[in-house]
Amino acid sequence: MGRYLVKRSVTLLFVLLGVSLLVFGFVRLIPGDPAVVMLGERATPENVARVRTQLGLDKPIYEQYLIFIANALRGDLGTSVLRQEPVTQEVIRRFPATIELAFGAMIIATLLGVPLGILSAVKRNSWFDASSMVFALTGVSMPVFWLGLMLIFLFAVMLHWLPSGARLDANAQYEPITNFILLDSLLKGNLTLFAQGLRHLILPAIALATIPMAIIARMTRSSMLEVLNQDYIRTARAKGLRERKVILSHALRNALLPVITVVGLQVGILLSGAILTETVFSWPGIGRWLVDAIYARDYPIIQGVTLFIAIIFVVINLVVDVLYTVVDPRVRLE
Amino acid sequence: MKKRSIQFATLIFALFGVLAVSIACGAPAAAPPAVQTVVVEKIQTSAPVVQTQVVEKIQTSAPVVQTVVVQATAVPAAAPQAFIFGAQGEPVCLDPAVITDGISGRVINQIYEGLVKFDKDTTNPVPALAKSWTTSEDGKVWTFKLQEGVKFHDGTDFNADAVVKNFDYWGNTKNPVHEKQTAAGQVFEYYGAQFGGFDGDSVIEKVEAVDPTTVKFTLKSPQGPFLNNLAMFVFVFASPTALEKYGTETCKNPVGTGPYKFVEWKPNEQVTLEANADYWDKANAAKMSRVIIRNIPNNSARLLALATGEIHALEGMEPRDVAAIKNDPRYKLLLRPANTTGYLAFNYKVKEFQDPKVRQAITQAINKQAIVDALYGGTGMVANQMEPPALWGYNPDIKDWAYDTEAAKKLLADAGFPNGLSEVTFDGKKVPLEMWYMPVSRPYYPNPKDIGTAIAADLAKAGINVSLQTVDWATYLDRRSNGQLPFYMLGWTGDNGDPDNFVCYFFCLGADDEALSREGFVDDKEVSDILKQAAVLTDQGERAKLYKQAEQLIHDRILRVFIANNQPPLALLANVEGYVPNPTGTEFFNTVVVKPSP
Repeated sequence: MGRYLVKRSVTLLFVLLGVSLLVFGFVRLIPGDPAVVMLGERATPENVARVRTQLGLDKPIYEQYLIFIANALRGDLGTSVLRQEPVTQEVIRRFPATIELAFGAMIIATLLGVPLGILSAVKRNSWFDASSMVFALTGVSMPVFWLGLMLIFLFAVMLHWLPSGARLDANAQYEPITNFILLDSLLKGNLTLFAQGLRHLILPAIALATIPMAIIARMTRSSMLEVLNQDYIRTARAKGLRERKVILSHALRNALLPVITVVGLQVGILLSGAILTETVFSWPGIGRWLVDAIYARDYPIIQGVTLFIAIIFVVINLVVDVLYTVVDPRVRLE
Repeated sequence: MKKRSIQFATLIFALFGVLAVSIACGAPAAAPPAVQTVVVEKIQTSAPVVQTQVVEKIQTSAPVVQTVVVQATAVPAAAPQAFIFGAQGEPVCLDPAVITDGISGRVINQIYEGLVKFDKDTTNPVPALAKSWTTSEDGKVWTFKLQEGVKFHDGTDFNADAVVKNFDYWGNTKNPVHEKQTAAGQVFEYYGAQFGGFDGDSVIEKVEAVDPTTVKFTLKSPQGPFLNNLAMFVFVFASPTALEKYGTETCKNPVGTGPYKFVEWKPNEQVTLEANADYWDKANAAKMSRVIIRNIPNNSARLLALATGEIHALEGMEPRDVAAIKNDPRYKLLLRPANTTGYLAFNYKVKEFQDPKVRQAITQAINKQAIVDALYGGTGMVANQMEPPALWGYNPDIKDWAYDTEAAKKLLADAGFPNGLSEVTFDGKKVPLEMWYMPVSRPYYPNPKDIGTAIAADLAKAGINVSLQTVDWATYLDRRSNGQLPFYMLGWTGDNGDPDNFVCYFFCLGADDEALSREGFVDDKEVSDILKQAAVLTDQGERAKLYKQAEQLIHDRILRVFIANNQPPLALLANVEGYVPNPTGTEFFNTVVVKPSP
């Protein structure tokens, strides 16, 4: 296992080098730079040149890249051009919000999606199967943006049950420790804050969960169907095992492999920032931050966050590969 | 079995669909237009503004202030303690010297003050930290007498010395804090832009403290807009102690003299301010004990937050929501007096645009009134010149070119295009005629794609066939700055309420009278000379005459096509009073009261 991890870490480094080169190059190929965005309608060639010099953008590209890599190896991802904030620090500060949202959504998606998939497979072609698959299809087809606004309108404006956005109320007293609101409030024993954080998390998590849930439900269903046709399932039933044990201990465990892959990919996608959900619910995560940075051509943020997301994906892939060995004893790590 | 399950599934889907549609139709703020008194304040921009709401009286007489306070304490449980404003984004920095954006400006307006400020809903500078001022005969020396007994939020005294230190921080590149800020990547954009540069390039030669309550400015040459510049939201004073103490951390540690003090800034969420109990101007002290400025980037989500009462006021609405808010008695709609103009610019490297007949044909082909009526949500007005009506250099006598498709066709024929115009010669090459619009909403063009499409349709009726083009905002600005766009939509929002800021910026030629790439190489020396002259006079009456003259020439020669002025809308809950919209967006919250909701 140890050697395997070392091998994977080396791969990670190569991936990061490749990603950094690509991002660095591409983002500078796009016309327009931070100076132009800062100045807006008052951008004139003289103003832009002046601001570019002040921002250090007139140095040759390879020099800028080498400076970037040298700093990145020390953990310094650069400083935002528009706000002069250190990127590494900002990523660490904003990422917990994205993690909370992503995990909230994945918990809903998995807890609903997997049982839905199992039951659909077991009661194949029944009304339950058909309607749950239609339900899943609807979830995938609805634009997250629209769904989010509808949820806000229904639960916040009409029913006043839940807040319309952000992580906490305007008058909340919150001193971040880890910046995971749910964790911090439990650490401090502040249950009101915990409840408030949870209330703010529900709607965005639901909105974000619809697509993963649909994918997980369908994946589970088709994987289960395949497994349920296998000989060893017939054997288990022939041996007289209770149906529930057949489904859960024998069928599900084998059906889970593709489902784990899908869940892993979905977590990766969500962690790279659910931009639309974050915008509609004013959720301060990294997705929207990255998109704003792209529009503003804030190179350090774009580079730093993309690199960070690349790391996340590689780590998640590693976790998924290790999980395979747990679920399926036939799989060996090489 | 299979058929039944499909039928059942379809039934469920249909039910869901009905539910979804009914929710969608009950969409935000669509209460049936009530036949009640609608609380709408519309500000007339062509006449001296007269607010008919009772609201205005609160500001002018001290006794009324006390009445409001008494009312608030009489119903303590229901009275909100904080005024919560929903903003469109995140402030960049809370150090006024290094910012250019209005979102940072909104927070800064509450914390800091300058020598003068814009009066209520106008662009007239009135005393703030300066009690009075005099100018020398030649317009080069300005002497300001300061208010007394003023302290910064950290206890430091405000005096002439503090003014001198602030101007040194802004304009002297060798000032230690200025150097540190520049090294950290900050840009002192507005000081450079409004005063001509730093150190020896600045029009301000020196700033001296004659005595603790008198400051003297010596200018290299008279600057007409000087007082209007000083009223801008960026030229406000920070505590010199704080500047030294915080160095490059001034963005997160604002210390001013204003009616509100900084409490905290939760990044990406909100900024919290509290009332300054030691504010020097007791009559204008903050009415609410706290102000919270919340960041809600999406227009619809922000409106929903207003509907739930989580915020009390907001800026930034979709044009279609404006009508809904106007007719809903739960809300107030305020319009900021127009300080923004949207235009359609010619790049004079296009040979065909050099012919005034072609330019006239284009301007007469466009039905501006229809565009304003349909696409501005009721907040727009047709523009016939560069300045919006609120500015004192506006020429009310200009009669716009008539909308006349037939006349346009005839002009084109006279110019040699009897079969219409679809190809042009741009910079020597024959290319299809492209018209560019921006991909982002701007204050002067709330939905540029729709407006561009409408303009293109009007032009097509007259035989001018354009192909609509767009590209992302940063690229758009880049290409415009380099004079690469042949025919494009753009606009301007005034910085300081002075006509120079509107007209000279666009129609003054360069320092050597060269045509500027960023303005499509427009090249009219007569207009430029008039504007350059007006920039250095200090008598407003004389300057006004010159600006009016310039606007008339620009109109007659159709140097550019002016489409519309916009009055950006603000939505408030009906129980919010005392909010005074200002054309420059510099708005103060010390007069705002959120009454307990009924």
